[in-house]
Amino acid sequence: MLFFSYFKELVGKEVTVELKNDLAITGTLHSVDQYLNIKLENTRVVDEAKYPHMLSVKNCFIRGSVVRYVQLPPDGVDVEILHDATRREARGT
Amino acid sequence: MLPLSLLKTAQGHPMLVELKNGETYNGHLVNCDTWMNIHLREVICTSKDGDRFWRMPECYIRGNTIKYLRVPDEVIDKVQEEAVKRPDRRPQIGGRARGGRGRGDESAGRAGGRGGRGYQDEGGERGGRGASRGRVSGRGGGGRGGSRGRG
Amino acid sequence: MEFRKGSSLSISDSSKKEMASDTGLELLIEQTISVITNDGRNIVGVLKGFDQATNLILDESHERVYSTKAGVEQLVLGLYIIRGDNISVVGELDEELDSNLNLSSLRAHPLKPVGH
Repeated sequence: MLFFSYFKELVGKEVTVELKNDLAITGTLHSVDQYLNIKLENTRVVDEAKYPHMLSVKNCFIRGSVVRYVQLPPDGVDVEILHDATRREARGT
Repeated sequence: MLPLSLLKTAQGHPMLVELKNGETYNGHLVNCDTWMNIHLREVICTSKDGDRFWRMPECYIRGNTIKYLRVPDEVIDKVQEEAVKRPDRRPQIGGRARGGRGRGDESAGRAGGRGGRGYQDEGGERGGRGASRGRVSGRGGGGRGGSRGRG
Repeated sequence: MEFRKGSSLSISDSSKKEMASDTGLELLIEQTISVITNDGRNIVGVLKGFDQATNLILDESHERVYSTKAGVEQLVLGLYIIRGDNISVVGELDEELDSNLNLSSLRAHPLKPVGH
């Protein structure tokens, strides 16, 4: 559940989700679920000239299983907190 | 509406199934289950590139190998009746009292909530096979979406 | 927040429920959506239903075929059930933006398959 909890913290922030088909979508993180499916709002595709396939889509649901990377906002990363949460997760508490 | 309810309703109808490996299967749906495993009769299988065909009297397809199913347009109009008629389709947790009381009617109520529909008798809808079989369409084969008068 | 506080990573039932309605596709029901599948196809249609596994029912659907040689070609597909594990993206199609698109002049490579 660590990543689920972590992504929930990021709701409202802007992220870029890179998919396994090389498509990269930037948008405001609207929600995430237990499968790490992601909903983005106000989306735009990185390199729209090459990927015009989602030009008329502004809100989307991305299946967690096709996500390769999520590019995080710098202020969404607090190493101390992540360390703590990771240890707690490993301990199973 | 649940995809698996639609599929169940499509029993007896012709359909096209494309597998993840690109093969397509055209046939009449005999039965399916909650894993989307399906049993087809009077099947024509088409290779990925669309240039080889095999006929078979029946076949069984494991659900997780399926990419998509194409079902006749009219099937969607028949789903509701089924959902109302058989509120016990969805297995409920806890006591399944006869008549599906208690938790049972939550799903029935929800299913009944959308759009008006009648309690119709389940007509035949079975044996209608044999007529329009064998319209094979694979991606490479070029026959996609030909004769479908819609949209 | 629970994450920060560090008291517990578990999610309360109420927030789970909240997530479920927030995360799912119910808001898109009866809307026109654009689906990108794992094999790189783009299918547009009206969302009639879905389930936990992201299996979808798409009505009046058509495929938009992209190529670099010609504009976008639309193939009529009709009523489709798309299996969830073959789905990459489900997008809400903004009808206004979409009607302003000139599909016949759009050229692009088809999307790559995801290939796990």
